[in-house]
Amino acid sequence: MTGGMTRPLSRRARVLLPLSVLLVVLASWEAAVQATRTQGLVPHPGGVLWSGAQLTANGVIFQAMSGSLARVLIGFLFGACVGIPLGLAVGAFGTLDRALRPVLDALRSIAPIAWIPMAILWLGVRGNAALFVVAYGAVFPFIVNSSQAVRQVDRRLLSAARALGAGRWVMLRSVLLPSALPMIFTGARIALAFAWASIIAAELAVGIKVAGHGRSVAGIGQLMVETLYVKRDVDALVFYMLVVGLVSFAIDAGLRRVQERLLPWKSH
Amino acid sequence: MEKPLDELVRLQGVGMVYQSSRDGERVEALAGIDFSVRRGEFLTVVGPSGCGKSTLLSLIAGFAAPTSGSVLFEGRPVDGPDPARGVMFQEYALFPWRTVAGNVEFGPFARGVDAATRRARAQTLIDLVGLKGFERRYPHELSGGMRQRCALARMLANEPTLWLMDEPLAAVDLQTRIILQDELLRLWGDARAGAQRPTVMFVTHGIDEAVLLADRILVLGRRPGRIKEVLEVDLPRPRAALRGSAEVARLTAHLWELIRDEAAQAIAEETQ
Amino acid sequence: MSRAGARFGAVALPLSGVAAVVVVWEVASRLAANATLVPPPLTVWRAFAAMQGSDLPADIGASLLHLAIGYGLGVGAGLALALVAASSRALEAIVDPFVEFLRPISPIAWIPLAILLFGVGRAVPVFLIFYASMFPIFVATLDGIRRVDARLIHAARSLGASRRLVVTRVVLPAALPSVIAGARLSLGVAWMSLVAGEIVGGDAGIGWRILWYQEFFQMDRVMAAILIVGVLGLGADLLLRALQHLARRWNPAAAESAA
Repeated sequence: MTGGMTRPLSRRARVLLPLSVLLVVLASWEAAVQATRTQGLVPHPGGVLWSGAQLTANGVIFQAMSGSLARVLIGFLFGACVGIPLGLAVGAFGTLDRALRPVLDALRSIAPIAWIPMAILWLGVRGNAALFVVAYGAVFPFIVNSSQAVRQVDRRLLSAARALGAGRWVMLRSVLLPSALPMIFTGARIALAFAWASIIAAELAVGIKVAGHGRSVAGIGQLMVETLYVKRDVDALVFYMLVVGLVSFAIDAGLRRVQERLLPWKSH
Repeated sequence: MEKPLDELVRLQGVGMVYQSSRDGERVEALAGIDFSVRRGEFLTVVGPSGCGKSTLLSLIAGFAAPTSGSVLFEGRPVDGPDPARGVMFQEYALFPWRTVAGNVEFGPFARGVDAATRRARAQTLIDLVGLKGFERRYPHELSGGMRQRCALARMLANEPTLWLMDEPLAAVDLQTRIILQDELLRLWGDARAGAQRPTVMFVTHGIDEAVLLADRILVLGRRPGRIKEVLEVDLPRPRAALRGSAEVARLTAHLWELIRDEAAQAIAEETQ
Repeated sequence: MSRAGARFGAVALPLSGVAAVVVVWEVASRLAANATLVPPPLTVWRAFAAMQGSDLPADIGASLLHLAIGYGLGVGAGLALALVAASSRALEAIVDPFVEFLRPISPIAWIPLAILLFGVGRAVPVFLIFYASMFPIFVATLDGIRRVDARLIHAARSLGASRRLVVTRVVLPAALPSVIAGARLSLGVAWMSLVAGEIVGGDAGIGWRILWYQEFFQMDRVMAAILIVGVLGLGADLLLRALQHLARRWNPAAAESAA
């Protein structure tokens, strides 16, 4: 606990300790798989490394990734275009908020992937169904954070600006926007993370629907389904998982940097 | 000071070096502190911000160990907090999920006193500090002054030999502070001449407060924190009557002379 | 606004929002003029009524069972891990990087591997829920414990409290608001994982049933099931929101640290 007389670990111990534990875990995992001769049934570090090298070399992973990322980006932008204005309106007008709150809350609670059957029906399996799911997932973080951003603007700042002679435009540009932007940006971060998770889910669901029909739609989710049902390659599957995790990590870290750079006055 | 007072706390060559968690820079908070706290005295500690006043207090409380030298309490080295050394914190540090009574009872509860005894004890103290009728209130429902009364009662519930007080009145308004100073003196036994009084070590920013309350004033300097001077305050008790008197004003002015330059320097460094 | 007016607004406004959605939906279904493509609201309502007599109770029961097992285990594991990490700096240095490494891998990405390891069935949604709910509560609890005011711990120790007492009477109550907030976050992602897990790799539950109805092209029932997913998710969140409110009243610290 924080109390008592404990001293913080040195920087070296903070790096070496987890690293050595990780190495021990990986080594014993590898050894266990080798000893039981279950390669191909159970993923193991060596196999994952090997698959990863192959899939990177032949470019399969980049192809699939670019398809998925393109859809994430479009869905994310769509979510922003709908979610930010709606969120701002809901945040500014209490009546609208109270009228729409239960509807929005209920819609938000529907996991985006639940819409898959309707989306396939409406937009077809060729990627657009997944796009719908992504946009649906991205829209709500924008709504939630934009409305909250408006609500939490300090009324005293508005009074101060008015007392200093600010007009409507100055007020909007110099007070409201800078106050609300950090929170909206945080919403964007959540939305993008959510969109990335949703695209994988949607591509998996769509992929499973069409896996038997010999059609393939480029995207990392479909690739995972193919790997699962056609190639049955456990090691590649784990490699894809790691890539998915790496991408979400990179997305969040990148947006955090952008946020610090663009909005230095407040980082959430 | 007619009879020789034995020492309750002894600091021998105490030094404290922090490793700043931010940039790993070494900060020397205290260096070469040799000092004794006499049994039954009211000692105030003053000095510019950054002189290690609070660090000194937490060493005696046992919240941290000095990096050099030793801290002795009743002749034995301090190796952790102990109920005999009661502590009152800046900004109260009351348990927000416990009522006034719950806070006051915590000490006896922690030491395993039975429910009936600790309840009676808490009630006595609550009455003594003037919180009767507020037993069931939560800290956030109290004013700053009332919270501090509650913190005082909580400390007293363990009947500590030594009261360690870290700027306890810094967070209350001026009028409340005057009232609480008088209350504190009353509870300590200001009016009972020659009586067995508890020992108090009282850290404060207020130099007038330091003069008014103290038998002795420990003046610390900064960079590193070290003893600059020890002032005896030979004013008669009870003290409440002396508030605003010429003697207090003269001592306060003298004290200000001692720390003025370093205080200004501290402010200049803070604004950098 | 008068009191009656306020009460009227509290009921009428949300109702008008729901009504507006139903109207838009009805208009869309008439424009599409295809009961499969956009099933009209009334048709979906009838489908919902019909489902109540058949599979629906069992499906909801199955989903809630998945949720109970997965969420219970996940929250338990997350809490335990957070307490372990909080108990010593060395353990924290070991646990924290692993969590930070696994956390970005969304539960969804585990689906194929989970199918491969456990086969299509109950274990897939349960595992996903377990995995999803573990992280938010871990992060929130550890953060709550780390942010416990050190002076409160010092105060308790100097009042004579043992280490055990400091944990049970100071650290845990002080961290409780964070724990409940984390439990709420966990429930949100758990619900999303439940639906995804049942749709892609399950063989029971309301999410699985959505795909089942799709196989038979009963789109009115698909819509009804989708809406049920939303209502159930909302209900679960309201339940935890109520718990949060309760904790805030019982523990005034929650109100301050939530701000």
